[in-house]
Amino acid sequence: MPALIEARDLTKKYGSFVALDRANFTIQSGRIVGLIGPNGAGKTSALRAILGLTAYEGQLQVLGREPFRERALLMNDACFIADVAVMPSWMRVDQAIDFVAGVHPRFRRDRALGLLAKTQIAGKRRIRELSKGMKTQVHLALTMAIDARLLVLDEPTLGLDILARRGFYDALVDDYMDESRTILITTHQVEEVENLLTDVMFIDKGHIVLDCSVEEIATRYAAVAVTADHIDAARAEKPFYEHRTLGKTVLYFEQPRSEALARFGEVHTPSVSDLFVAKLSGGAQ
Amino acid sequence: MSNYAWLIKREFWENRAIWVVPCIIGVLLILSALFGHIQFLDLNTPQQSRVVGQMTLSAFGATFFVVMSIYSTWYLLDCLYADRKDRSVLFWKSLPISDTTTVLSKLLVALIVIPLVYFVAADITTLLVAFVVSVRASAALGGAMWHADLWLQLQVLWLYVIVTTAIWFLPVSAWLMVISAWAKRAVMLWSILPPLALYLVERWFFGTHYVLTVLGHRLLGYGPQAFHSGADSSFWMTTTFNNDQITTPSSIWAMMDPGSFFSSPQTWIGAVIGAALVVGAIQLRLRRTEI
Repeated sequence: MPALIEARDLTKKYGSFVALDRANFTIQSGRIVGLIGPNGAGKTSALRAILGLTAYEGQLQVLGREPFRERALLMNDACFIADVAVMPSWMRVDQAIDFVAGVHPRFRRDRALGLLAKTQIAGKRRIRELSKGMKTQVHLALTMAIDARLLVLDEPTLGLDILARRGFYDALVDDYMDESRTILITTHQVEEVENLLTDVMFIDKGHIVLDCSVEEIATRYAAVAVTADHIDAARAEKPFYEHRTLGKTVLYFEQPRSEALARFGEVHTPSVSDLFVAKLSGGAQ
Repeated sequence: MSNYAWLIKREFWENRAIWVVPCIIGVLLILSALFGHIQFLDLNTPQQSRVVGQMTLSAFGATFFVVMSIYSTWYLLDCLYADRKDRSVLFWKSLPISDTTTVLSKLLVALIVIPLVYFVAADITTLLVAFVVSVRASAALGGAMWHADLWLQLQVLWLYVIVTTAIWFLPVSAWLMVISAWAKRAVMLWSILPPLALYLVERWFFGTHYVLTVLGHRLLGYGPQAFHSGADSSFWMTTTFNNDQITTPSSIWAMMDPGSFFSSPQTWIGAVIGAALVVGAIQLRLRRTEI
């Protein structure tokens, strides 16, 4: 089965600034992929290219289509929410539902109405009258009512309170996700999504610095909390990052020899967020 | 319903002024007929009646048309700018509608849909005003506005004006859309600055004024291109009222000059430039998602 998204030497320049520098990555169907990177790393450029919102250099295929040339066709099978709430402020909620139902062949009105019924939002309200959280809820309800093969979420829960965020991610996994769908998600709140991701991609300065499944992290990376007396011996194993905390130093290793490392302290698999910090800070050394 | 139908509906939702403004003009004209001072003219002959009817109907039509031109200009400058400004352009682009369809739907609204709304509003207004005048003043005066053939000629005139202005002003409309799709702010200023700069540069460096001639002809040349000049004396007709003589075109039919309009190279050169600018607006819409 061909990959859902395939990027070869994907490059995006803004004048002399290179936002994406010959990035290569592949995303398979049925995965929940987290695209994680600091501000200005190229996350948004990558998503914009995938969604056909920007021209780019290099090769990019999404659902077998060239996104920039075929955005309208691509949007039959892909949908997205980009950053903050961007619903048109003059629109009424029921107009938004009517419009999307009118132009989108895969929109399921009953599903959107069901999702909105769980909120306090009346159909006659205008988007501009809603709170930021409510705007996001309307947008999410519209998007999740589309039977799309690819869902792209860029900071989807920005402006939502903690209860609404939990509710959103629960609904995403329980009600929306199945083998036929793929979700690509970016967020600053790595801790919030790391339990639902199947794959992670780290992006830094326009380069993909890590692209692997969450299970693979356990075999490819290890972290050891080392006390001061073992520190020199542990450093001989060439950690790529050190982090000092509460009197202990945590060393991070790539392709670890776990038996060797066990001598220095307890070996554990780093969390996605810890690995992210280690990888991006360590990469500079 | 097709995507175009939904996109046109969307423009009515977003820009309620499309129908609210002509309604307000209509209501104001009807109110002035209801409560205003109506000059009592003695209409004794059929010709007097026709001339008064023709003048009244033309004045009403012109009122609607002038307001419509101002509104359409604003609409074209705003239509590809507003959703970039409030960032909802990303919402629209998340739907399976191409940028070509979006841009063409907005052009269609500006050139055809808005004029048709004003056309219908003008018709309804003249009907109601004629009724009010008949009851308040004299049946003869009200009836003057309801010569069936005069009314029919006016319908044809409206349709002729809608079609010919759409073609003649296409380069202007498309230019406004290009600015609307491109500018980061001050769309009004940006729409005027480049032509003004071109004019000044040409004047300073070459001492010529081709730019001004071309632009002036486009902006002011519609009337002479689409209507008879009236050089031929049979075009005019003089009607005598008590002590006054009024000279008017002999009929609405006689005013229109489609032969000259559709055979003029100016018409079609402008249309081609307009089409190229529309393509430019689509290309900008594809690439510019943010302010």
